[in-house]
Formats: sequence, structure tokens, C-alpha cells
Amino acid sequence: MAGAFDFVPAIAALPFLAFVVSLFAGQYMPKRGAEAGILATAGSLVLSIWTALTVAGITGSATFYNENFYEWVVGVADGALTLRFGVLVDPLTALMLVIVSLISLLVHVFSLGYMNDEGETGLPRYYAGLGLFTASMLAFVFSNNILMAFMFFELVGLCSYLLIGFWFREDGPPSAAKKAFLVTRFGDYFFLIGVVGILATFGTGLFAPVETASGTMASFPQLAEQALEEGAEAIYTAGYGAQTWMTILGLLVLGGVVGKSAQFPLHTWLPDAMEGPTPVSALIHAATMVAAGVYLVARMYGFYLLSPTALAIIALIGGFTALFAATMGVVKQELKQVLAYSTISQYGYMMLALGSGGYVAAVFHLTTHAVFKALLFLGAGSVIIAMHHNENMWDMGGLKEKMPVTYWTFLSGSLALAGIVPFAGFWSKDEVLFEALIHGFGTSGMLGTVYLLAYAMGLLAVFFTGLYTFRMVYLTFHGDARSETARDPEPVRWNVKGPLAVLGIGAATVGFLNMKPVAELTGLHIDFLHKWVNGPEEGGWPEALSTGLHHYETLLHDVTHVTAGYPLGETTTLLVSAAVSLGLALAGVLLARRLYGVDEPVEHTDKLGGAKTLLMHNYYQDEYQVWLAQGVTVPIARAADKFDQGVVDGVVNGVSSVSLFTGSRFRRIQSGVVSNYAALMTLSLALLLVVFVVLGGGA
Amino acid sequence: MAIATQYYLLLSAAVFCIGVYGVLTRSNALIFLMSVELMLNAANINLVAFSFHYGNLTGQVFSLFVMALAAAEVAVGIGIILVLYRNFDDVDVTKAATMRW
Amino acid sequence: MTSRPRLATDVNYVNGLAALALFAVMAYVFFMAELGQPAGFPDGSIVASIGYAMFNMVDQAAIEAESFLVAFIIIALVLDAALDGAVTLARREGDDSVVTALTDGGRRLAGRGDDTDEATGPDGGED
Repeated sequence: MAGAFDFVPAIAALPFLAFVVSLFAGQYMPKRGAEAGILATAGSLVLSIWTALTVAGITGSATFYNENFYEWVVGVADGALTLRFGVLVDPLTALMLVIVSLISLLVHVFSLGYMNDEGETGLPRYYAGLGLFTASMLAFVFSNNILMAFMFFELVGLCSYLLIGFWFREDGPPSAAKKAFLVTRFGDYFFLIGVVGILATFGTGLFAPVETASGTMASFPQLAEQALEEGAEAIYTAGYGAQTWMTILGLLVLGGVVGKSAQFPLHTWLPDAMEGPTPVSALIHAATMVAAGVYLVARMYGFYLLSPTALAIIALIGGFTALFAATMGVVKQELKQVLAYSTISQYGYMMLALGSGGYVAAVFHLTTHAVFKALLFLGAGSVIIAMHHNENMWDMGGLKEKMPVTYWTFLSGSLALAGIVPFAGFWSKDEVLFEALIHGFGTSGMLGTVYLLAYAMGLLAVFFTGLYTFRMVYLTFHGDARSETARDPEPVRWNVKGPLAVLGIGAATVGFLNMKPVAELTGLHIDFLHKWVNGPEEGGWPEALSTGLHHYETLLHDVTHVTAGYPLGETTTLLVSAAVSLGLALAGVLLARRLYGVDEPVEHTDKLGGAKTLLMHNYYQDEYQVWLAQGVTVPIARAADKFDQGVVDGVVNGVSSVSLFTGSRFRRIQSGVVSNYAALMTLSLALLLVVFVVLGGGA
Repeated sequence: MAIATQYYLLLSAAVFCIGVYGVLTRSNALIFLMSVELMLNAANINLVAFSFHYGNLTGQVFSLFVMALAAAEVAVGIGIILVLYRNFDDVDVTKAATMRW
Repeated sequence: MTSRPRLATDVNYVNGLAALALFAVMAYVFFMAELGQPAGFPDGSIVASIGYAMFNMVDQAAIEAESFLVAFIIIALVLDAALDGAVTLARREGDDSVVTALTDGGRRLAGRGDDTDEATGPDGGED
């Protein structure tokens, strides 16, 4: 019986098939392609779960998989590159596959209620877009080399563009789609340079070594580690020192990550992306596509660990973005906008975790965030259906009694987001902050200071997170209804409530995957995620692939010199850090309750005055980027165009105009008057005779 | 005492160049034809001179043929001038300048 | 009626300089050439020898010559062809008669436009 790993490509192929079916045959199907999508993602989910079970060792024999499938560019000369497609399955991959296929399935079911039942048109295109997106995201997750990952990264960005701009006949969506595409593309440009750099430096883009019949093909994190230990003569470093060059490569790839995961400064596209349908926002801009950037860093973590500078920058960007976006979320009036800024902020936490060496924390937060953010978006979708697509929270209110399923699941998600025990967000966010704290205290020099600074920003963001989350909950569901639609909302059906219920339970329970504080206190080995990414202590997949947690921790200690320091002793620091973050979150929640948990809340943010204008305008980042495009890029483009048309085209035109000019002068010889022709002939004859006289009659 | 051949050649060159002068400067098509005749006859003089120089009659026979050809050419030339007159209403060669760029 | 020939006054003299240049070059060449004495003809009838040469009977010619029979026949053909060519050119389109020459000095032709059947007679029509 073939193992699960033989079917891993099918995990991406099934949604791709659904894409093709929806595109060509969707108009003939009763649900316009949704059936194909639901079946395909259900199949992918089953296969992903089977793969995860195989990786866990419960079924099948092998626990990891790394094979190259297809050589699409064969390098012939010595030292020439060969470009391949391949599949890598390790615990991280298996986890992400399950997350992506589960959320995709739930979003497909939800779309039946949000799109089909609302009588939207053009649905085959919608389900085709969802299918293509799911296929590319899954293929990105199991890519085994960075170039293949880049290709699917771009494809995912394309699907995002297509889906944001779904209602392209209005003004907002196409513009938002264009903005999303351009901003992420800007980051991806640096990513591409980074990919080329990695391929040029190491000769391979593999994330983990591949065993072939003719030996082992090393991966680039391995080669990089080797170069740092033994000396970098074997690889190309463009004249820089080895570690400097690797920092540069890491930062180039980070460009794409920052764009895709909507970190500062390339975060401006995500709030505008809310113009797309809410299920799209739930799938793409909450749980999966924006996770691609963070997943990429986690995938090549062995490479990033070799460069403390890159890690510091990642941590700083993460902490800053977490705080920055959380402040903006506090003043927003539309439901989805609050959630968009919340997404930006939470991905900041994941970057903070990765930067400060908390690999498990980052992966854990990625998992929990996928669940509760998708839940919150789907809940928002349910509210939007009820409110006849009016998103303004100030027109809502009192929906609690009228939409109980939505309310309780939304509340579950909000508690998870705010980080209140025992919901999922508490355990993961707390672990992120804890890792940042101890590595900040333990590491010496600038790096430690950076970590502590980022930790402080992340901690402050916890307060704001609690505040904006519960402001959102109170304004939407509590109090008196503030408009007619809120008094009489449209009911939603099982296809909306079902996914909400599933995710609601998930948001409450998925935190139990890795309850580190409880594990430490009681000595029980219930930190399952930790064990999942750590693998067996000896042999197995960590040794074969070098992507295990133990390997990362060794690198962290030996190469980056990041150590954990417990200012108050190990257990006490843990408990104090948990208490502080929980306390801040509760403070935010209670403040929101006092301000907005009344029957008739008012816009208290008006009291902020000038600060509110700044926040409402998103710190003028959008205007700044537009200025960059119009004020800086357009003149440069114009100058380049002038050069192209004047010099390059001018040379070509000049050649032709020279010949035209010569021709126009020459043709006057043909005057039509016979006597002129005779004169020319006579002169030529005389000249010829003179030439013969001079040359002595020729040979 | 025979006249040196150069003088015959000089005569032939002079007649030829008078013919060329006529072709170059005159605008009447009939005068043009007459000049062409002059050129042909200059060639004849040349041929006969060389026939005497080498003592071979080929030159003279050839010049007879040239004369016959000149006659044929003039016949056709007159026909052409007739058609030219029909189309341009004038025998001025400088007026018939439409076959140009 | 013809008018007496007048000296041409519309001559473009500049082009004639080319002819002058050609004469100068040719004269120079001829006088620089070393030709030697002309050989002259031996006794005998030149014209008879030319006749023999025309009919490929060179061995009977008194003076040395070459055979020109082929050229002779060809010239005959060429003259015939030239005559036909001249006649064809002189014909008008769609007209089978040969246009006869006008004898009025061309004064009528300028006025002719519609009366085409008048001047075809040899007496020239009214004047």
C-alpha cells in the first residue's frame, strides 16, 4: 500500500482540478463550482491529515520525505545550475498542510452562504480563484527548494489580486487589488534577487538535503553553516565576508516576507484588501497567504540563524509592526478594517518570535492565529450578511440576542485574539513574549537590547489588542441597536454557522497543543507542538533534514550567541511574564467594556483629537507610498522613457533618417531630362579615360 | 606619304565631341537625333582609320554595317519623337521630364 | 510654309563643357599613343574585296578581310524590323490608317481638338 507521501502532490493537485472544473464547467453546476471546491479541499484535508499521521509515525514507515520530482532546467556545463521541482514533507509542512486545507474547506462551505445565498454573480470565477489559490498555497507549503517556493509565492499573490478585485465593476476593488499586487510585488522583487543570490552563492536552493542515488544533495542552510564554520572559499560571496553576505541574502528574501506578511512598511495593502469578499479575506488575508511569509522564514530558519543582524531586524520589524498596527486598529469604524489591522499586528508577533529565536512560539502562534483570525473574519462575514453589507460598527449594536451562534463563536475568537486564558491566543502570544523576554535578558550586546525593545513594543501592543478587540465586540453585539438593519438583521443559514462553530471550538481548544506554562509547572509532557517540531532526539527526520528544533537551538546558541536568561529564575520568570501579558490584556478588555460596553456608546476616540486624525489616516503611510510612486518613481520613469525614446530609439531612427536623407538627395539625379543624363555619362566617360591614363591602361 | 593615324583619330574625336555637345545642349529632339548621327559617323571615321592602319578591311565593312544601323535607329527614333509629340505637344526634350522621382 | 532656320538661342551652354572635357581627354590620349606608321592597302579593288568579305568569299578577296555573311543577313533583318517599328509607332491607337504628314507647317495642329476627320486629306482642308 503506497504511503501517504506518494499522494502529497495530490494535495495540491485536487484543488487545482477544482479550479479547472470551476473555470470551464462552473456555470453549468448548481452551486457554480462550489461543489468541486468543497470536494477537492475535503480530499486535500483527508490527505493532509493522513500525511500528518504518517509524519507522526502512527501510519506508514517513513516519517519524512524529501524528493526531487522534475528537472525543468538541466544544467549542462561544469558548475551550471539545475532547476527542479520537488516535495519536502517534515512536521512543519504537515502542520501547515492541515491548517491550510482545513481553513480552505471551511471557507468554501461558508462561501455557499455568503456568496451563493446572497445571489452574487460571476461565481465560477470566484470558486476558480479559490481553487487556484488553495492549490498554489499547498504547493508553496510543500516546496522543497526556494525557487519553487518563489513561483508559488507569486502565484498566490496573483490569486489574491484576482479575488480582491472580484467585484471589479465597482471602483474600490480593482484599485485595492492593484495596490495589493504592486506592494507585494515590490517586496517580491527583493525576494527574487535574494533567490538568485542564494542559487548563485550555494549552487542549490534546497531547504533540506535530498538523498539521491548518486549521493546527497546538500541544502543551502547546511552549506551556509559549513561555510561559516570552515571558511567560505567554496562559495561565492561577492567580495563580502561570509556572514555579511548571508545577512544580505537573508534581508533580500525578507523583502518578500515583509510584503507578503504585511509588515511595516509594506503593510498598506492589507486594509485595502478588505474590499474583497469576506470569505476571501478569511482565507487569504488572515490565515494562509499572509502566513506564507512567516512560513518561509520558518522553513529556512537554519539559514536565518546564521546572521544575528537579520534576526535583530526581523524582531524589530515584528515588534514595531505589532504596536504600530494595534494603535491604528483602535480608531477604525468598519468591522473588517479592525480585523485587518489586527492581522498585521499579530503577524508582527510571529516575526518577533522568529527574530528572537522562539521557533516553537512562532509556529504555535501561526497555528492559533490561523484558527481564530479565520473565525473572526467568518464571524464578521456573518454579521455583514445580517447587516445587508453595511460594515460600519456604529450602525450595529444589539446583535447578541438575534445572532447567538455568531456571537458566541465571535466571542471565543475575540478572547483568543486578546489573549485571555484559557483560549488559544493566550498560550501562543504569551510564549512569543516570553521567548523575546528571556532571549533579551540572556543575550549580550546590542542584540539583547534590541530584543528587549521589541518585547516592550509587543507587550504594549497586548493592551491595545485587548482594547480594540473588545471595542469591536461591544460595538457590534452589545448595547442597543443603532439602525433599522441592526434591529431586524437577516438570518444566516447552517452553511455560515457550521464553519463558525467548528472554528469557535478550535479557537477555544487549539491552545492546548502547547501549554508551556502548565507543562513547566506540573512537569507533564503536554507541550505537544514542541515535541512535534523537535522530533526524536537521535536520528530520524531531524538528522536527515536538519530542520529540527534541536538543530535550530544549537545554531542559536553557537552561531548567533543568543542565550536564554531568566532574571527571576526559570519558573518564576515564566509565571510573571504570563501574568503581565494577561494583566495588560485584561486591562485593555476592561477599558473597552467601560467605554463601549454601555447601551449607547459614543466615539470616545474623538477625545484623542489630533492623534485620532493621525491614526485614521494610518500615519499617512498610504499618502507617503503614493507620493513615492508619483513623486519619485514617475519622474525617474519619465526620464528613463525619454532616454529610451531619445537615445536608444533615436539611434535607430537616426540610422534610418540618414538613409532617407541621402536617398532624397540622391534621387534628384533622376531629373527626367535626357540632356542631364547624357552630361553625366559624358563626364563619367572622361573620368574613366583619365583613370585609365593614370593607371597605365589597367592590368 | 600617308597621314599619321593620330590625325584621323583626332578628327573622329572632334566630330564625336561635337555630337556630344549637341546631345548635351540642344533641347529640340530632332537636333538631338542629328547629333546622335554625328556621333555614329565619328565612330565610322575611327573604324576606317584603323582599317587603313592595319591594312585589314574589317574596319570598313564594319562601318558599313554601322551606317545601316544608324539608319534603322533613326527610323525608330523618328517614330518615338512622333509619339513624344503626341503626348507632350512639343518636341522639347526638357519638357518631357515626367519619368523622374 | 516653313520659316528660315534661326540660330539656336535657348541652348544651355554649361552642359557643353562636359563635351569639351571629353575632347580634351581624348585628344591627349590619341597624341600620347605610339601607333607607328599605317600599313596601307596593297594593290587591288577595295570595293570588290568588301563584296567578297560580305559573302564569306574572303579567299578570293585581294585585300585581307574577314567574313561578314551572318552580320549581313542580320542587318537586313534589323532594317526590316526598324521599318516595322517605325510604322507601328506612327500608328495611332485604334486607328488602322497611317497618319499622313501635315503640310501646313504645324499651324493647324495647335488648334485641332475635335475636328479629327478634316485634316486627313492631302489637300490640308480649309485654312
